[in-house]
Amino acid sequence: MMRRGVLFLVCLFWPNWALGEEILRGYAPFSWVELFKRFNPLILDHWEKEVFQFISSLGVLKGYYAWLSLGLLGLLLVHYFLFGPRRFSSRGRKIHYYSALTRFIHWGAAIFMSLLVFTGLGLIFAKELGGGYLVTNLRVFHLGSAFVFLGFGVLLFLIMVKDMFPAPYDLKWFFVLGGYLSKKKARVPAGKFNAGQKIWFWVSTLGGGAMFWTGYKLYLFTAPTVELRSNLILHQYLGLPLLALFLVHLYMALFAVKGALRSMISGYKHEEEVKILHPKYYEKLNLD
Amino acid sequence: MARMKFLCDIERCIACNGCVVACKEGHELPVGISRRRVVTINEGKPGEKSISISCMHCSDPPCMAVCPVEAIYQREDGIVLVNKEICIGCGYCFMACPFGAPQFPKNNSFGARGAMDKCTFCAGGPAPTFSEEERRLYGQNRIAEGKVPLCAGMCATKALLAGDGEVIAEIFSQRVARRGSGVAWGWSKAYK
Repeated sequence: MMRRGVLFLVCLFWPNWALGEEILRGYAPFSWVELFKRFNPLILDHWEKEVFQFISSLGVLKGYYAWLSLGLLGLLLVHYFLFGPRRFSSRGRKIHYYSALTRFIHWGAAIFMSLLVFTGLGLIFAKELGGGYLVTNLRVFHLGSAFVFLGFGVLLFLIMVKDMFPAPYDLKWFFVLGGYLSKKKARVPAGKFNAGQKIWFWVSTLGGGAMFWTGYKLYLFTAPTVELRSNLILHQYLGLPLLALFLVHLYMALFAVKGALRSMISGYKHEEEVKILHPKYYEKLNLD
Repeated sequence: MARMKFLCDIERCIACNGCVVACKEGHELPVGISRRRVVTINEGKPGEKSISISCMHCSDPPCMAVCPVEAIYQREDGIVLVNKEICIGCGYCFMACPFGAPQFPKNNSFGARGAMDKCTFCAGGPAPTFSEEERRLYGQNRIAEGKVPLCAGMCATKALLAGDGEVIAEIFSQRVARRGSGVAWGWSKAYK
């Protein structure tokens, strides 16, 4: 009877004591929560901090590109019908404007930048183009053109930069928007290149360089993923102002100023155009 | 409908990389593509733990959300697959994936990336089941044969479990009940 009582008490107290002393603890002493807290930095990197921003930034981008390309094209069309092109007489002297080297480099850069812009747009609107073989090859063309454009872009920068520094009258040019918002043929304050051309120069060369740099990182695809994400967002958002100014440049050179295209092919501008659109340069030439 | 899931039991994983090799060999993956990898912490020290990760076939896949051509789709049983004929190799899915699951062969001109490849849960792809095209593009289709994925089937310690989520949860909770999981309850644990 006594032995049974003692046995009963031992059976009651021993397990609790053993548990308290952790003798009966299982062989898995780690909490999985702790383990995952240590695995997560290795597996996820900074994913949880960044990805929601990343996904939403990408999601709105196609809309921005659609609005920009269609909206800007519409605006330019309206401008053409409201104000019409600038025409200048071909009487008088022909003034040498672009050297042969300048023209060659410009056209080289122009062809490859056009390829970059159009293949880039093809990538943005990949779904509408059906993806697959076509868009993959557009991507390959995008890569190839980028390397060639780099060469031409750097040369273009070097050969034109000396005429492209900001001047005090550039701000006045902006206030009248180069006179393009009126039908009158009034003189606008500009040197060899007007303020609008200068803006396009800096955006296309420096912006183009930034596009190349970020694009190159994307092509290598070996940066830490954090950098890949920011490079992609920068690359696609920088494309917006580049596309806008590219379209404006095409419009100005092909439609809005008659004779502009010819001058980039022949290298000469007619006297009246230089007198009206680049009077400070005209004065400098006549003073010489 | 069963919801397919992976679970890697960290207590049992010995980092043998058998899952990695089985997947690579079973699907005849090219050099440079590894659909599964093993991550280890405290290597060589007491408390060394490993986990095997691949595409986790998420419920709201971020890769699907960012794909510009909608090449990634999700089956009813939760398995996330890619259509390699539509994929343009842009790489956004890799940037959005928390596990870095998408892999890209650099087999285009200028070394450009080709179509994305990732763990298919051994369920093939959009090509006709058991066709030569499916085998060439996506690897074996074991799910259609009723078999478990290669990695889980081959796991030496049965650390890696793959299949119906409810069955796996049952197996795992039995394991935990038998071996314990550290100090599992108490105020200090829950509200650390």
